[in-house]
Amino acid sequence: MLSWSTAAPAVAAAFLASTVEVVEAFTIVLAVATMRGWRPAALGAAAGLGLLAGAVVLFGPLLDRIPLHALQLVIGVLLLLFGMGWLRKASLRAAGVIPLHDEDAIFATEASQLGEAASRRQQNLDWAAGITALKAVVLEGLEVVFIVIAVGAGRGLLVPASLGALAACALVLAIGALVHRPLSRVPENTLKFAVGTMLAAFGVFWTGEGLGLAWPAGDLALLPIAALFLFAGLIGAALARKAAVEIVV
Amino acid sequence: MKLVGDLLAELIGMFVGDRRLTVGVLAIVAVAGVSIDVAGLDPLVGGSVLLLGCPLLLIDNVRRSAGPR
Repeated sequence: MLSWSTAAPAVAAAFLASTVEVVEAFTIVLAVATMRGWRPAALGAAAGLGLLAGAVVLFGPLLDRIPLHALQLVIGVLLLLFGMGWLRKASLRAAGVIPLHDEDAIFATEASQLGEAASRRQQNLDWAAGITALKAVVLEGLEVVFIVIAVGAGRGLLVPASLGALAACALVLAIGALVHRPLSRVPENTLKFAVGTMLAAFGVFWTGEGLGLAWPAGDLALLPIAALFLFAGLIGAALARKAAVEIVV
Repeated sequence: MKLVGDLLAELIGMFVGDRRLTVGVLAIVAVAGVSIDVAGLDPLVGGSVLLLGCPLLLIDNVRRSAGPR
């Protein structure tokens, strides 16, 4: 029987991370659909989703065969690298050191590239458009697959984490279908900050367990660890903002 | 082939976005591991290394990344 304290962080991490990545993939698929129609865009996106689902079905159960401590250590370290990487970028974006992700600009770039391809050659354009959509879905979805497998494997949470990711897909696609333009108002950096915090916390927790540590308070230890990373990210952003201002002055 | 190349680049980039951060994380994990497995210290000591080292590394890395290069 799954407890909420175990499942909720995994489902929330999968949901929030998927929201960010699906928004990014949706922007490119929408650009493809706008330039070449919905058929190649939908086929490419569906093929990409099929590849990603295949990866989860293939690698998810395989991971359950690895000894638990080794699995926790490897996935813990990977989660630390990945989560702290997201948190670092989110802190630098929050500080204004690197620019925020701009969905409108990405949409314009993709549409322009497809337009240029159309003017160069007329054959196989639908194929090229489909591949563009497939590539967007696979590349953006890869991070979602890693997160679903990382937070789900080893504790029997693969299905809840996958459901969290699918719920995010459904939500973004439903909103996208309604507004029919890039979802530039989604607070992507705030979401990335939150996801980076959660994944880094999972990373410390699992790395510790992989090294043989039994955390005081068990799964509930995730909350103070996440709070520590959130605090570190906010302090980092404040210091980076100060450093950036000093350089300008 | 380009798709496979992009896929590999994305996979590597997922974990090695910033070299200094990657090396720092691996060093902290190594110190925690050595303190538990080699030095035989209480696992909570190793946990504390992770718990304090990683957030401090993050703060330092973000601050340095914003500074002059």
